Amino acid sequence: MIATPAAPAPGPIGPSPLWTRAFHGFNLLVLLLMAASGLEIYNANPVFGGREGVTVPELFTLGGWLAGGRDWHFAVMGLYAANLGLWIGLLLRRRHRRLAGTGDLATLRGSVHPPRRRLASHRITYTLMLILLAFSLLSGLAMYKPAQLWWLVSLFAFAEPAGFSSWQTLRVCHLATIPAIAMLLVAHVVLSLRVGGLRLLRAMVL
Amino acid sequence: MAASPEALSRRRSLGLLLASGSSLLLGGCALNRWSNAVGEATQPLNERIEALLQGKGMLPEFRRNQVEPEALLVNSFNGIPKLAPSSYRLVVNGMVRRPLSLDLAALAALPQRECVIRHVCVEGWAAIVAWSGPRLADVLALAGPSPLGAYLAIRSADQYFETWDLASALHPQTLLATHMNGAPLPVANGAPVRLASPIKLGYKQSKWVIELELMTSLGDRLGTWEDKGYEWFAGL
Repeated sequence: MIATPAAPAPGPIGPSPLWTRAFHGFNLLVLLLMAASGLEIYNANPVFGGREGVTVPELFTLGGWLAGGRDWHFAVMGLYAANLGLWIGLLLRRRHRRLAGTGDLATLRGSVHPPRRRLASHRITYTLMLILLAFSLLSGLAMYKPAQLWWLVSLFAFAEPAGFSSWQTLRVCHLATIPAIAMLLVAHVVLSLRVGGLRLLRAMVL
Repeated sequence: MAASPEALSRRRSLGLLLASGSSLLLGGCALNRWSNAVGEATQPLNERIEALLQGKGMLPEFRRNQVEPEALLVNSFNGIPKLAPSSYRLVVNGMVRRPLSLDLAALAALPQRECVIRHVCVEGWAAIVAWSGPRLADVLALAGPSPLGAYLAIRSADQYFETWDLASALHPQTLLATHMNGAPLPVANGAPVRLASPIKLGYKQSKWVIELELMTSLGDRLGTWEDKGYEWFAGL
């Protein structure tokens, strides 16, 4: 085991359970595939600007053309959903104390102790990531089966008074999960390194 | 690569996984040639789930004042064919007792139905459209379909080709539309007769339809776009 440093540590960092590490690693892989193939689909008719809209550089896309992008997107969506669903389910049952709660928000508001604040931010960040990933799945499902899941699409009608159809809102929301998760990912990596350093990385990856 | 089996430790293999994952963005082009194989491996299961999800009942429709005429883009694979309304005939043949050749008056004599639905294109855009015309199910019923019929081939005047599963073709909101948003169907949108349905992607909804053939099984050709790589079921 790694020796606990003298400084107040947020808790010992033992290796995480195998399932945590497996879901974590696999999630990263399928997320990259989903994002790249999703951007390929985006290019067929950019959400912003339609046919005259700016497309994503081919470097960041996967599939080669629309049908290829859809091949990848719909091939991976099941794996992505199963991985995320099982992961969140197990987290809630077995390790829900690791997920952020109101205590973390109180820490951010009240504490002046930097390590505590960092840990709270870290917990909030990865919990938000899980919520966002689940949202990307639900918004994607609404777009995949808008007729059968019409009630899911109707949840996106909130911008209709502003002149945006529920379909356009749905497309924007589904696309927005990519920049949102990318920003959270950067914060997540920075915070993990600051909270647990390489020890935490090792505990999570190996 | 690793010199001994132990050298490829879990740490290293996970490192490799991460490295390959992060190079996906850069190496996407190398994966592109696998797209079709990936689709062929997973589409049968996806299509089965899609068919299970698809109900036979009516789906909720939109209000007439929700139509978005400007949002409906025009896609055409082979230009716009000219069909004279007076000489237009819709041929219904294949596994039917009474092969038909219907003119526009015969189609207009059938019960007319309007469906205000979301037309969803595979490209990602969608538009709410009010389609009207006879139900495809009513037209097929006129021809006395054989119970062995399971698929419908749809041929268009511009050589566009489609095949549908019969359950989707018989859905009560699947129409042979002759009108759009209350006016006669514009030529660019498929006049005089096109398919319209809330349960299929746009490329399944053939324009300028001239022939329906009831089949017992699918042939080599699934459809103009399907043969290039699009999904066949394409349910919504």
